[in-house]
Amino acid sequence: MSAGILWRRIRKYKFIYALFLPIALYFIVFSYYPLALGIINSFRKSKLIGAPEFVGLANYKEVLLNPLYADAFVNTVIVGVGTFVVQFIFGLLIALSLTEIKSNIVKSSVQSVTYLPNLLSWAIVGGMWIKILAPSGMANGFLQLLKGSGFTPVVFMAEPKYARAIMIFTGAWKGAGYFAVLFIAAIVSINSAIYEAASIDGASRIKQIFYITIPNLVPTMKVIVVLGSMGVLRNFDQIFVMGNSTIYDKIRNLLYLIYTDGIVNFKVGLATAAATLVLIATLLLSSIVRRMTKYDETYN
Amino acid sequence: MMERRDKISNELLLYQKLINYVFLSLVFIVMVIPMVNVVVISTSTALDAGQAGLKLWWTKFSLEGYEYVFRVTKLGRPFLNSVYVSFASTFIQVILSSLAGYILVQRELPFRRAITAFILVTMMIPGDLTLISIYQVNKQLSLLNSYTGLIVNGLISGFCILLMRNYFLSVPESLAESARLDGAGELKIFRSIYLPLSIPGLATIFFLEFVGKWNSLMIPATLITDQSLFTLPLMLKSMIINYSSVSGAPPAPDNAVMAAIVISTIPLILIYIFAQRFLLSGITLGASKE
Repeated sequence: MSAGILWRRIRKYKFIYALFLPIALYFIVFSYYPLALGIINSFRKSKLIGAPEFVGLANYKEVLLNPLYADAFVNTVIVGVGTFVVQFIFGLLIALSLTEIKSNIVKSSVQSVTYLPNLLSWAIVGGMWIKILAPSGMANGFLQLLKGSGFTPVVFMAEPKYARAIMIFTGAWKGAGYFAVLFIAAIVSINSAIYEAASIDGASRIKQIFYITIPNLVPTMKVIVVLGSMGVLRNFDQIFVMGNSTIYDKIRNLLYLIYTDGIVNFKVGLATAAATLVLIATLLLSSIVRRMTKYDETYN
Repeated sequence: MMERRDKISNELLLYQKLINYVFLSLVFIVMVIPMVNVVVISTSTALDAGQAGLKLWWTKFSLEGYEYVFRVTKLGRPFLNSVYVSFASTFIQVILSSLAGYILVQRELPFRRAITAFILVTMMIPGDLTLISIYQVNKQLSLLNSYTGLIVNGLISGFCILLMRNYFLSVPESLAESARLDGAGELKIFRSIYLPLSIPGLATIFFLEFVGKWNSLMIPATLITDQSLFTLPLMLKSMIINYSSVSGAPPAPDNAVMAAIVISTIPLILIYIFAQRFLLSGITLGASKE
Protein backbone atom coordinates (compact mmCIF):
# COMPACT_ATOMS: atom_id res chain seq x y z
CA MET A 1 0.00 0.00 0.00
CA SER A 2 1.43 3.36 -0.98
CA ALA A 3 1.81 6.18 1.52
CA GLY A 4 -0.78 8.31 -0.29
CA ILE A 5 -3.52 5.72 0.01
CA LEU A 6 -2.67 5.09 3.62
CA TRP A 7 -2.82 8.79 4.37
CA ARG A 8 -6.18 9.14 2.66
CA ARG A 9 -7.54 6.23 4.71
CA ILE A 10 -6.22 7.71 7.93
CA ARG A 11 -7.93 10.99 7.09
CA LYS A 12 -11.14 9.18 6.35
CA TYR A 13 -11.06 7.73 9.86
CA LYS A 14 -9.90 10.85 11.71
CA PHE A 15 -13.11 10.96 13.72
CA ILE A 16 -12.53 7.38 14.89
CA TYR A 17 -9.01 8.27 15.98
CA ALA A 18 -10.39 11.24 17.91
CA LEU A 19 -12.75 8.85 19.72
CA PHE A 20 -9.83 6.63 20.61
CA LEU A 21 -7.87 9.48 22.17
CA PRO A 22 -9.54 9.61 25.62
CA ILE A 23 -9.46 5.83 25.83
CA ALA A 24 -5.77 5.73 25.02
CA LEU A 25 -5.12 8.49 27.53
CA TYR A 26 -6.93 6.54 30.25
CA PHE A 27 -4.96 3.37 29.60
CA ILE A 28 -1.67 5.27 29.51
CA VAL A 29 -2.31 6.99 32.85
CA PHE A 30 -3.91 4.11 34.72
CA SER A 31 -2.33 1.05 33.11
CA TYR A 32 0.92 1.64 31.28
CA TYR A 33 2.35 4.42 33.43
CA PRO A 34 1.75 2.59 36.76
CA LEU A 35 3.34 -0.50 35.24
CA ALA A 36 6.45 1.46 34.24
CA LEU A 37 6.53 3.32 37.54
CA GLY A 38 6.34 0.03 39.44
CA ILE A 39 9.23 -1.44 37.49
CA ILE A 40 11.34 1.70 38.04
CA ASN A 41 10.54 1.75 41.76
CA SER A 42 11.50 -1.89 42.08
CA PHE A 43 15.11 -0.85 41.41
CA ARG A 44 15.05 1.98 43.94
CA LYS A 45 14.98 2.40 47.66
CA SER A 46 12.81 5.24 48.89
CA LYS A 47 14.18 7.42 51.65
CA LEU A 48 12.45 9.62 54.17
CA ILE A 49 14.38 12.66 52.93
CA GLY A 50 15.61 13.34 49.41
CA ALA A 51 15.29 11.50 46.12
CA PRO A 52 15.09 7.71 46.07
CA GLU A 53 18.36 5.92 45.57
CA PHE A 54 19.06 3.42 42.80
CA VAL A 55 19.88 0.06 44.38
CA GLY A 56 20.01 -2.32 41.43
CA LEU A 57 18.63 -5.76 42.11
CA ALA A 58 18.79 -5.43 45.91
CA ASN A 59 15.01 -5.35 46.33
CA TYR A 60 14.62 -8.47 44.21
CA LYS A 61 17.25 -10.24 46.25
CA GLU A 62 15.49 -9.25 49.43
CA VAL A 63 12.16 -10.58 48.14
CA LEU A 64 13.66 -13.90 47.10
CA LEU A 65 15.48 -14.34 50.41
CA ASN A 66 12.58 -13.18 52.55
CA PRO A 67 10.85 -16.20 54.16
CA LEU A 68 7.58 -14.22 54.40
CA TYR A 69 7.46 -14.08 50.61
CA ALA A 70 8.28 -17.76 50.29
CA ASP A 71 5.45 -18.59 52.70
CA ALA A 72 3.10 -16.26 50.86
CA PHE A 73 3.95 -18.05 47.61
CA VAL A 74 3.11 -21.44 49.15
CA ASN A 75 -0.15 -20.06 50.59
CA THR A 76 -1.09 -18.52 47.27
CA VAL A 77 -0.61 -21.80 45.42
CA ILE A 78 -2.30 -24.07 47.97
CA VAL A 79 -5.34 -21.88 48.62
CA GLY A 80 -5.59 -20.71 45.00
CA VAL A 81 -5.29 -24.10 43.32
CA GLY A 82 -7.38 -25.77 46.01
CA THR A 83 -10.20 -23.29 45.54
CA PHE A 84 -10.04 -23.57 41.77
CA VAL A 85 -10.20 -27.38 41.77
CA VAL A 86 -13.14 -27.57 44.20
CA GLN A 87 -14.95 -24.82 42.36
CA PHE A 88 -14.37 -26.48 38.99
CA ILE A 89 -15.62 -29.90 40.13
CA PHE A 90 -18.73 -28.52 41.80
CA GLY A 91 -19.43 -26.12 38.95
CA LEU A 92 -19.35 -29.02 36.48
CA LEU A 93 -21.39 -31.36 38.69
CA ILE A 94 -24.05 -28.73 39.32
CA ALA A 95 -24.30 -27.96 35.60
CA LEU A 96 -24.56 -31.63 34.58
CA SER A 97 -27.00 -32.32 37.35
CA LEU A 98 -29.27 -29.35 36.56
CA THR A 99 -29.41 -30.36 32.91
CA GLU A 100 -31.18 -33.58 33.89
CA ILE A 101 -33.89 -31.73 35.81
CA LYS A 102 -37.15 -31.23 33.93
CA SER A 103 -38.87 -28.86 36.32
CA ASN A 104 -38.08 -25.27 35.41
CA ILE A 105 -38.78 -23.97 38.89
CA VAL A 106 -36.29 -26.36 40.49
CA LYS A 107 -33.77 -25.59 37.79
CA SER A 108 -33.93 -21.83 38.02
CA SER A 109 -34.08 -21.72 41.81
CA VAL A 110 -31.02 -23.94 42.25
CA GLN A 111 -29.18 -22.01 39.57
CA SER A 112 -30.06 -18.63 41.10
CA VAL A 113 -29.09 -19.70 44.58
CA THR A 114 -25.74 -21.14 43.52
CA TYR A 115 -24.94 -18.13 41.32
CA LEU A 116 -25.97 -15.44 43.81
CA PRO A 117 -22.87 -15.55 46.11
CA ASN A 118 -20.72 -14.88 43.07
CA LEU A 119 -22.34 -11.45 42.87
CA LEU A 120 -21.57 -10.63 46.48
CA SER A 121 -18.39 -8.90 47.58
CA TRP A 122 -15.94 -10.60 49.91
CA ALA A 123 -16.91 -7.99 52.50
CA ILE A 124 -20.36 -9.59 52.46
CA VAL A 125 -19.42 -13.26 52.08
CA GLY A 126 -16.46 -12.99 54.46
CA GLY A 127 -18.51 -11.22 57.11
CA MET A 128 -21.17 -13.85 56.80
CA TRP A 129 -18.83 -16.81 57.22
CA ILE A 130 -16.87 -15.18 60.04
CA LYS A 131 -20.14 -15.04 61.97
CA ILE A 132 -21.15 -18.59 60.99
CA LEU A 133 -17.77 -19.94 62.13
CA ALA A 134 -17.68 -17.89 65.34
CA PRO A 135 -18.09 -19.66 68.71
CA SER A 136 -21.73 -18.55 68.85
CA GLY A 137 -22.28 -19.18 65.14
CA MET A 138 -24.22 -21.72 63.15
CA ALA A 139 -21.32 -24.16 62.55
CA ASN A 140 -20.92 -24.64 66.28
CA GLY A 141 -24.69 -24.86 66.57
CA PHE A 142 -24.60 -27.92 64.30
CA LEU A 143 -21.72 -29.50 66.21
CA GLN A 144 -23.63 -28.90 69.43
CA LEU A 145 -26.62 -30.77 67.98
CA LEU A 146 -24.41 -33.67 66.89
CA LYS A 147 -22.31 -33.98 70.02
CA GLY A 148 -24.85 -33.01 72.65
CA SER A 149 -24.15 -31.17 75.89
CA GLY A 150 -20.67 -30.75 77.34
CA PHE A 151 -19.42 -29.61 73.97
CA THR A 152 -16.96 -26.72 73.88
CA PRO A 153 -17.36 -24.49 70.83
CA VAL A 154 -14.54 -24.47 68.27
CA VAL A 155 -13.10 -21.04 67.43
CA PHE A 156 -12.73 -21.93 63.74
CA MET A 157 -11.36 -18.58 62.62
CA ALA A 158 -8.55 -18.71 65.19
CA GLU A 159 -7.34 -22.23 64.36
CA PRO A 160 -4.42 -22.21 61.91
CA LYS A 161 -5.10 -25.85 61.02
CA TYR A 162 -8.56 -25.00 59.61
CA ALA A 163 -7.56 -21.72 57.98
CA ARG A 164 -6.71 -22.94 54.48
CA ALA A 165 -9.65 -25.33 54.33
CA ILE A 166 -11.97 -22.48 55.32
CA MET A 167 -10.57 -20.23 52.59
CA ILE A 168 -10.91 -22.99 49.99
CA PHE A 169 -14.44 -23.88 51.06
CA THR A 170 -15.72 -20.30 51.21
CA GLY A 171 -13.98 -19.47 47.93
CA ALA A 172 -15.65 -22.41 46.20
CA TRP A 173 -18.98 -21.65 47.90
CA LYS A 174 -18.82 -18.20 46.37
CA GLY A 175 -17.53 -19.19 42.94
CA ALA A 176 -18.93 -22.60 41.95
CA GLY A 177 -22.19 -21.11 40.67
CA TYR A 178 -20.32 -18.92 38.20
CA PHE A 179 -18.53 -21.89 36.65
CA ALA A 180 -21.86 -23.75 36.63
CA VAL A 181 -23.44 -20.94 34.61
CA LEU A 182 -20.61 -21.08 32.07
CA PHE A 183 -20.99 -24.86 31.76
CA ILE A 184 -24.79 -24.65 31.49
CA ALA A 185 -24.55 -22.08 28.70
CA ALA A 186 -22.24 -24.47 26.82
CA ILE A 187 -24.48 -27.50 27.42
CA VAL A 188 -27.52 -25.63 26.11
CA SER A 189 -25.72 -24.92 22.87
CA ILE A 190 -24.90 -28.59 22.15
CA ASN A 191 -26.89 -29.78 19.15
CA SER A 192 -29.83 -31.81 20.49
CA ALA A 193 -29.86 -33.99 17.37
CA ILE A 194 -26.69 -35.69 18.66
CA TYR A 195 -28.53 -36.78 21.79
CA GLU A 196 -31.51 -37.98 19.77
CA ALA A 197 -29.30 -40.01 17.48
CA ALA A 198 -27.47 -41.54 20.45
CA SER A 199 -30.69 -42.37 22.20
CA ILE A 200 -32.11 -44.05 19.08
CA ASP A 201 -28.90 -46.07 18.91
CA GLY A 202 -29.64 -47.20 22.44
CA ALA A 203 -27.12 -45.18 24.45
CA SER A 204 -28.28 -44.63 28.01
CA ARG A 205 -28.53 -41.13 29.38
CA ILE A 206 -25.44 -41.66 31.57
CA LYS A 207 -23.47 -42.77 28.52
CA GLN A 208 -24.64 -39.69 26.64
CA ILE A 209 -23.36 -37.50 29.46
CA PHE A 210 -19.94 -39.12 29.33
CA TYR A 211 -19.62 -39.44 25.57
CA ILE A 212 -21.49 -36.37 24.32
CA THR A 213 -21.89 -33.71 26.99
CA ILE A 214 -18.46 -33.85 28.61
CA PRO A 215 -16.41 -33.99 25.37
CA ASN A 216 -18.45 -31.03 24.10
CA LEU A 217 -17.59 -29.10 27.24
CA VAL A 218 -13.82 -29.31 26.67
CA PRO A 219 -13.59 -25.85 25.03
CA THR A 220 -15.47 -24.32 27.98
CA MET A 221 -13.18 -26.15 30.38
CA LYS A 222 -10.22 -24.57 28.64
CA VAL A 223 -11.72 -21.11 29.05
CA ILE A 224 -12.30 -21.82 32.72
CA VAL A 225 -8.76 -23.10 33.25
CA VAL A 226 -7.36 -19.95 31.64
CA LEU A 227 -9.67 -17.75 33.75
CA GLY A 228 -8.78 -19.73 36.86
CA SER A 229 -5.03 -19.65 36.33
CA MET A 230 -5.22 -15.86 36.37
CA GLY A 231 -7.53 -15.85 39.37
CA VAL A 232 -5.18 -17.96 41.51
CA LEU A 233 -2.75 -15.07 41.87
CA ARG A 234 -5.35 -12.38 42.25
CA ASN A 235 -7.15 -13.21 45.44
CA PHE A 236 -6.80 -10.16 47.66
CA ASP A 237 -10.25 -9.36 49.01
CA GLN A 238 -10.89 -12.72 50.66
CA ILE A 239 -7.71 -12.63 52.75
CA PHE A 240 -8.13 -8.89 53.42
CA VAL A 241 -11.56 -9.52 54.94
CA MET A 242 -11.26 -12.98 56.48
CA GLY A 243 -7.65 -12.94 57.68
CA ASN A 244 -6.68 -12.32 61.28
CA SER A 245 -3.39 -12.38 63.14
CA THR A 246 -3.78 -15.95 64.44
CA ILE A 247 -4.15 -17.46 60.96
CA TYR A 248 -2.22 -15.11 58.66
CA ASP A 249 0.78 -17.45 58.56
CA LYS A 250 -1.34 -20.08 56.80
CA ILE A 251 -3.24 -17.88 54.37
CA ARG A 252 -1.37 -14.62 53.77
CA ASN A 253 -0.89 -14.61 50.00
CA LEU A 254 1.41 -12.66 47.71
CA LEU A 255 -1.04 -9.94 46.81
CA TYR A 256 -1.92 -9.31 50.44
CA LEU A 257 1.72 -9.25 51.51
CA ILE A 258 2.57 -6.82 48.70
CA TYR A 259 -0.29 -4.59 49.81
CA THR A 260 0.78 -4.56 53.46
CA ASP A 261 4.43 -3.98 52.55
CA GLY A 262 3.76 -1.29 49.97
CA ILE A 263 0.75 0.64 51.25
CA VAL A 264 0.83 0.00 55.00
CA ASN A 265 4.57 -0.31 55.74
CA PHE A 266 5.76 2.07 52.97
CA LYS A 267 8.39 -0.42 51.72
CA VAL A 268 7.70 0.66 48.14
CA GLY A 269 10.88 -0.79 46.66
CA LEU A 270 10.42 -4.22 48.18
CA ALA A 271 6.70 -4.37 47.36
CA THR A 272 7.11 -3.25 43.75
CA ALA A 273 9.92 -5.76 43.23
CA ALA A 274 7.65 -8.51 44.52
CA ALA A 275 4.79 -7.24 42.36
CA THR A 276 7.03 -7.26 39.29
CA LEU A 277 8.06 -10.84 39.99
CA VAL A 278 4.43 -11.90 40.39
CA LEU A 279 3.56 -10.07 37.19
CA ILE A 280 6.24 -11.96 35.28
CA ALA A 281 5.04 -15.21 36.84
CA THR A 282 1.46 -14.39 35.84
CA LEU A 283 2.43 -13.73 32.24
CA LEU A 284 4.49 -16.92 32.09
CA LEU A 285 1.76 -18.97 33.71
CA SER A 286 -0.95 -17.66 31.43
CA SER A 287 1.11 -18.20 28.30
CA ILE A 288 1.94 -21.75 29.41
CA VAL A 289 -1.71 -22.47 30.17
CA ARG A 290 -2.81 -20.93 26.90
CA ARG A 291 -0.33 -23.05 25.00
CA MET A 292 -1.22 -26.22 26.89
CA THR A 293 -4.93 -25.76 26.33
CA LYS A 294 -4.39 -24.47 22.79
CA TYR A 295 -6.63 -21.60 23.91
CA ASP A 296 -5.66 -19.15 21.20
CA GLU A 297 -6.26 -21.62 18.40
CA THR A 298 -9.79 -22.10 19.64
CA TYR A 299 -10.65 -18.51 20.44
CA ASN A 300 -8.85 -16.13 18.16
CA MET B 1 -41.04 -50.97 15.79
CA MET B 2 -40.33 -47.31 15.03
CA GLU B 3 -43.05 -46.25 17.42
CA ARG B 4 -41.58 -48.23 20.26
CA ARG B 5 -38.21 -46.64 19.68
CA ASP B 6 -39.75 -43.19 19.77
CA LYS B 7 -41.16 -43.98 23.17
CA ILE B 8 -37.74 -44.71 24.65
CA SER B 9 -37.48 -41.83 27.05
CA ASN B 10 -34.13 -40.08 26.98
CA GLU B 11 -33.80 -39.78 30.73
CA LEU B 12 -31.80 -41.06 33.66
CA LEU B 13 -32.88 -44.28 35.35
CA LEU B 14 -34.94 -43.90 38.50
CA TYR B 15 -32.10 -44.52 40.96
CA GLN B 16 -29.85 -42.16 39.03
CA LYS B 17 -32.54 -39.51 39.20
CA LEU B 18 -32.74 -40.04 42.94
CA ILE B 19 -28.99 -39.59 43.35
CA ASN B 20 -29.24 -36.46 41.23
CA TYR B 21 -32.00 -35.01 43.39
CA VAL B 22 -30.13 -35.82 46.59
CA PHE B 23 -27.00 -34.10 45.26
CA LEU B 24 -28.90 -31.01 44.17
CA SER B 25 -30.78 -30.85 47.47
CA LEU B 26 -27.49 -30.95 49.35
CA VAL B 27 -26.06 -28.20 47.16
CA PHE B 28 -29.22 -26.16 47.65
CA ILE B 29 -29.07 -26.59 51.43
CA VAL B 30 -25.37 -25.68 51.65
CA MET B 31 -26.02 -22.57 49.58
CA VAL B 32 -29.24 -21.43 51.22
CA ILE B 33 -28.69 -22.16 54.91
CA PRO B 34 -25.96 -19.54 55.44
CA MET B 35 -28.18 -16.95 53.73
CA VAL B 36 -31.17 -17.83 55.93
CA ASN B 37 -28.90 -17.66 58.95
CA VAL B 38 -27.80 -14.12 58.04
CA VAL B 39 -31.35 -12.91 57.49
CA VAL B 40 -32.55 -14.44 60.77
CA ILE B 41 -29.68 -12.96 62.79
CA SER B 42 -30.18 -9.54 61.20
CA THR B 43 -33.82 -9.53 62.30
CA SER B 44 -33.23 -10.82 65.83
CA THR B 45 -32.53 -8.88 69.01
CA ALA B 46 -28.87 -8.19 69.83
CA LEU B 47 -29.21 -10.56 72.79
CA ASP B 48 -30.54 -13.48 70.72
CA ALA B 49 -28.01 -12.82 67.95
CA GLY B 50 -25.15 -13.29 70.39
CA GLN B 51 -26.45 -16.58 71.78
CA ALA B 52 -25.15 -19.93 70.60
CA GLY B 53 -27.40 -21.99 68.37
CA LEU B 54 -28.43 -22.69 64.77
CA LYS B 55 -30.44 -19.49 64.36
CA LEU B 56 -32.40 -20.67 61.37
CA TRP B 57 -35.64 -19.39 62.88
CA TRP B 58 -36.55 -16.44 65.05
CA THR B 59 -36.82 -16.55 68.83
CA LYS B 60 -38.03 -12.99 68.66
CA PHE B 61 -38.38 -10.93 65.51
CA SER B 62 -36.82 -7.49 65.85
CA LEU B 63 -35.54 -4.75 63.55
CA GLU B 64 -33.22 -3.23 66.12
CA GLY B 65 -30.15 -4.35 64.13
CA TYR B 66 -31.31 -2.23 61.18
CA GLU B 67 -32.07 0.67 63.47
CA TYR B 68 -28.60 0.38 65.04
CA VAL B 69 -26.90 0.31 61.67
CA PHE B 70 -28.50 3.57 60.57
CA ARG B 71 -28.47 5.36 63.93
CA VAL B 72 -25.11 4.34 65.40
CA THR B 73 -22.99 3.07 62.50
CA LYS B 74 -24.52 5.65 60.13
CA LEU B 75 -24.58 3.30 57.17
CA GLY B 76 -26.69 5.73 55.13
CA ARG B 77 -23.69 7.74 54.02
CA PRO B 78 -21.58 4.81 52.74
CA PHE B 79 -24.69 3.40 51.08
CA LEU B 80 -25.29 6.62 49.14
CA ASN B 81 -21.56 6.89 48.37
CA SER B 82 -21.66 3.40 46.84
CA VAL B 83 -24.80 4.17 44.86
CA TYR B 84 -23.32 7.38 43.45
CA VAL B 85 -19.87 6.00 42.63
CA SER B 86 -21.17 2.74 41.15
CA PHE B 87 -23.79 4.35 38.93
CA ALA B 88 -21.57 7.15 37.70
CA SER B 89 -18.62 4.93 36.83
CA THR B 90 -20.74 2.16 35.31
CA PHE B 91 -22.57 4.63 33.12
CA ILE B 92 -19.33 6.13 31.79
CA GLN B 93 -17.82 2.65 31.41
CA VAL B 94 -20.69 1.48 29.19
CA ILE B 95 -20.39 4.54 26.94
CA LEU B 96 -16.60 4.40 26.61
CA SER B 97 -16.39 0.61 26.18
CA SER B 98 -18.96 0.59 23.44
CA LEU B 99 -17.21 3.47 21.66
CA ALA B 100 -13.92 1.62 21.91
CA GLY B 101 -15.55 -1.61 20.74
CA TYR B 102 -16.92 0.28 17.76
CA ILE B 103 -13.42 1.50 16.89
CA LEU B 104 -12.20 -2.09 16.85
CA VAL B 105 -14.77 -3.23 14.28
CA GLN B 106 -13.76 -0.66 11.65
CA ARG B 107 -12.44 -3.22 9.23
CA GLU B 108 -10.37 -0.86 7.10
CA LEU B 109 -9.10 1.36 9.88
CA PRO B 110 -5.33 1.78 9.51
CA PHE B 111 -3.41 0.61 12.62
CA ARG B 112 -6.48 -1.27 13.87
CA ARG B 113 -4.31 -4.21 14.90
CA ALA B 114 -1.97 -1.93 16.84
CA ILE B 115 -4.94 -0.37 18.61
CA THR B 116 -6.36 -3.81 19.42
CA ALA B 117 -2.98 -4.90 20.78
CA PHE B 118 -2.73 -1.70 22.83
CA ILE B 119 -6.03 -2.60 24.51
CA LEU B 120 -5.29 -6.34 24.82
CA VAL B 121 -2.02 -5.67 26.62
CA THR B 122 -3.85 -3.69 29.32
CA MET B 123 -5.84 -6.85 30.05
CA MET B 124 -2.62 -8.66 30.80
CA ILE B 125 -1.49 -6.02 33.30
CA PRO B 126 -3.36 -7.03 36.43
CA GLY B 127 -4.47 -3.83 38.18
CA ASP B 128 -3.97 -5.49 41.57
CA LEU B 129 -0.25 -5.89 40.90
CA THR B 130 0.30 -2.24 40.03
CA LEU B 131 -1.63 -1.17 43.11
CA ILE B 132 1.28 0.64 44.75
CA SER B 133 1.97 2.67 41.63
CA ILE B 134 -1.77 3.26 41.18
CA TYR B 135 -1.70 4.76 44.66
CA GLN B 136 1.20 7.03 43.67
CA VAL B 137 -0.49 8.07 40.42
CA ASN B 138 -3.65 8.95 42.30
CA LYS B 139 -1.60 10.90 44.80
CA GLN B 140 0.11 12.85 42.01
CA LEU B 141 -3.29 13.62 40.44
CA SER B 142 -4.76 14.57 43.87
CA LEU B 143 -7.37 11.85 43.56
CA LEU B 144 -6.86 10.37 47.02
CA ASN B 145 -9.93 10.73 49.24
CA SER B 146 -12.17 12.01 46.46
CA TYR B 147 -15.25 10.78 44.63
CA THR B 148 -13.48 11.45 41.34
CA GLY B 149 -10.75 9.02 42.37
CA LEU B 150 -13.28 6.34 43.16
CA ILE B 151 -15.05 6.87 39.84
CA VAL B 152 -12.00 7.23 37.60
CA ASN B 153 -10.03 4.18 38.75
CA GLY B 154 -11.16 1.19 36.71
CA LEU B 155 -13.24 3.42 34.45
CA ILE B 156 -12.49 1.47 31.26
CA SER B 157 -11.67 -2.19 31.00
CA GLY B 158 -10.25 -4.11 28.10
CA PHE B 159 -12.65 -6.92 28.90
CA CYS B 160 -15.76 -4.78 28.35
CA ILE B 161 -14.30 -3.36 25.15
CA LEU B 162 -13.71 -6.83 23.74
CA LEU B 163 -17.17 -7.93 24.79
CA MET B 164 -18.76 -5.02 22.94
CA ARG B 165 -16.51 -5.62 19.97
CA ASN B 166 -17.81 -9.18 19.76
CA TYR B 167 -21.40 -7.95 19.84
CA PHE B 168 -20.70 -5.40 17.16
CA LEU B 169 -19.09 -8.01 14.94
CA SER B 170 -22.46 -9.72 14.66
CA VAL B 171 -24.01 -6.56 13.24
CA PRO B 172 -24.15 -6.98 9.44
CA GLU B 173 -21.65 -4.58 7.94
CA SER B 174 -23.89 -4.00 4.92
CA LEU B 175 -26.24 -2.06 7.22
CA ALA B 176 -23.48 0.33 8.23
CA GLU B 177 -22.23 0.55 4.64
CA SER B 178 -25.61 1.52 3.22
CA ALA B 179 -26.09 4.10 5.97
CA ARG B 180 -22.69 5.51 5.11
CA LEU B 181 -23.70 5.75 1.44
CA ASP B 182 -26.77 7.68 2.58
CA GLY B 183 -24.41 10.16 4.18
CA ALA B 184 -24.76 9.17 7.85
CA GLY B 185 -21.84 10.14 10.09
CA GLU B 186 -19.92 7.66 12.23
CA LEU B 187 -21.63 8.71 15.46
CA LYS B 188 -25.04 8.32 13.87
CA ILE B 189 -24.20 4.86 12.53
CA PHE B 190 -22.93 3.92 15.95
CA ARG B 191 -25.98 5.27 17.73
CA SER B 192 -28.74 4.18 15.42
CA ILE B 193 -27.41 0.89 14.05
CA TYR B 194 -24.79 -0.66 16.30
CA LEU B 195 -26.12 0.28 19.74
CA PRO B 196 -29.76 -0.78 19.24
CA LEU B 197 -28.61 -4.15 17.87
CA SER B 198 -26.33 -4.74 20.84
CA ILE B 199 -28.64 -4.08 23.77
CA PRO B 200 -28.00 -7.46 25.40
CA GLY B 201 -24.29 -6.69 25.27
CA LEU B 202 -24.80 -3.26 26.80
CA ALA B 203 -26.95 -4.77 29.54
CA THR B 204 -24.34 -7.45 30.16
CA ILE B 205 -21.48 -5.01 30.68
CA PHE B 206 -23.68 -2.67 32.68
CA PHE B 207 -24.61 -5.54 34.97
CA LEU B 208 -21.08 -6.94 35.30
CA GLU B 209 -19.52 -3.55 35.88
CA PHE B 210 -22.10 -2.33 38.34
CA VAL B 211 -21.63 -5.45 40.44
CA GLY B 212 -17.85 -5.09 40.22
CA LYS B 213 -17.95 -1.44 41.26
CA TRP B 214 -20.48 -2.04 44.02
CA ASN B 215 -18.26 -4.79 45.45
CA SER B 216 -14.89 -3.15 44.86
CA LEU B 217 -12.78 -3.28 47.99
CA MET B 218 -9.12 -3.08 47.07
CA ILE B 219 -9.15 0.30 45.29
CA PRO B 220 -11.31 2.10 47.90
CA ALA B 221 -9.18 0.57 50.66
CA THR B 222 -6.12 2.03 48.94
CA LEU B 223 -7.49 5.46 48.03
CA ILE B 224 -9.83 6.32 50.87
CA THR B 225 -8.98 7.05 54.49
CA ASP B 226 -11.64 9.71 55.09
CA GLN B 227 -14.58 7.94 56.72
CA SER B 228 -17.16 10.24 55.10
CA LEU B 229 -16.11 8.81 51.71
CA PHE B 230 -16.26 5.15 52.76
CA THR B 231 -18.11 2.89 50.36
CA LEU B 232 -20.29 0.06 51.65
CA PRO B 233 -17.66 -2.70 51.39
CA LEU B 234 -15.14 -0.55 53.28
CA MET B 235 -17.69 0.19 55.98
CA LEU B 236 -18.61 -3.50 56.20
CA LYS B 237 -14.97 -4.44 56.46
CA SER B 238 -14.41 -2.00 59.31
CA MET B 239 -17.54 -3.28 61.09
CA ILE B 240 -16.30 -6.85 60.74
CA ILE B 241 -12.87 -5.97 62.11
CA ASN B 242 -14.36 -4.11 65.05
CA TYR B 243 -16.52 -7.08 65.68
CA SER B 244 -13.66 -9.53 65.86
CA SER B 245 -11.34 -7.28 67.86
CA VAL B 246 -11.30 -7.27 71.62
CA SER B 247 -10.45 -3.69 72.49
CA GLY B 248 -11.22 -0.29 71.01
CA ALA B 249 -14.58 1.21 70.14
CA PRO B 250 -17.63 -0.78 71.13
CA PRO B 251 -18.15 -3.23 68.27
CA ALA B 252 -21.48 -3.36 66.51
CA PRO B 253 -23.61 -6.27 67.76
CA ASP B 254 -24.03 -9.32 65.50
CA ASN B 255 -27.52 -8.38 64.43
CA ALA B 256 -26.27 -4.98 63.24
CA VAL B 257 -23.35 -6.50 61.26
CA MET B 258 -25.73 -8.94 59.61
CA ALA B 259 -28.21 -6.14 58.92
CA ALA B 260 -25.45 -4.21 57.15
CA ILE B 261 -24.69 -7.33 55.11
CA VAL B 262 -28.35 -7.72 54.11
CA ILE B 263 -28.55 -4.04 53.17
CA SER B 264 -25.46 -4.31 50.94
CA THR B 265 -26.89 -7.42 49.30
CA ILE B 266 -30.35 -6.11 48.40
CA PRO B 267 -29.28 -3.93 45.44
CA LEU B 268 -27.31 -6.88 44.04
CA ILE B 269 -30.33 -9.17 44.29
CA LEU B 270 -32.52 -6.55 42.63
CA ILE B 271 -30.10 -6.01 39.78
CA TYR B 272 -29.73 -9.78 39.40
CA ILE B 273 -33.50 -10.28 39.11
CA PHE B 274 -33.76 -7.38 36.69
CA ALA B 275 -30.72 -8.16 34.54
CA GLN B 276 -30.71 -11.97 34.53
CA ARG B 277 -32.90 -12.01 31.42
CA PHE B 278 -30.39 -9.86 29.52
CA LEU B 279 -27.40 -11.73 30.86
CA LEU B 280 -28.68 -15.18 29.91
CA SER B 281 -29.85 -14.03 26.48
CA GLY B 282 -26.41 -12.46 26.06
CA ILE B 283 -24.66 -15.70 26.95
CA THR B 284 -26.78 -17.86 24.65
CA LEU B 285 -26.34 -15.38 21.81
CA GLY B 286 -22.60 -15.56 22.27
CA ALA B 287 -22.68 -19.35 22.41
CA SER B 288 -24.87 -19.89 19.36
CA LYS B 289 -23.05 -17.43 17.14
CA GLU B 290 -20.18 -19.74 16.20
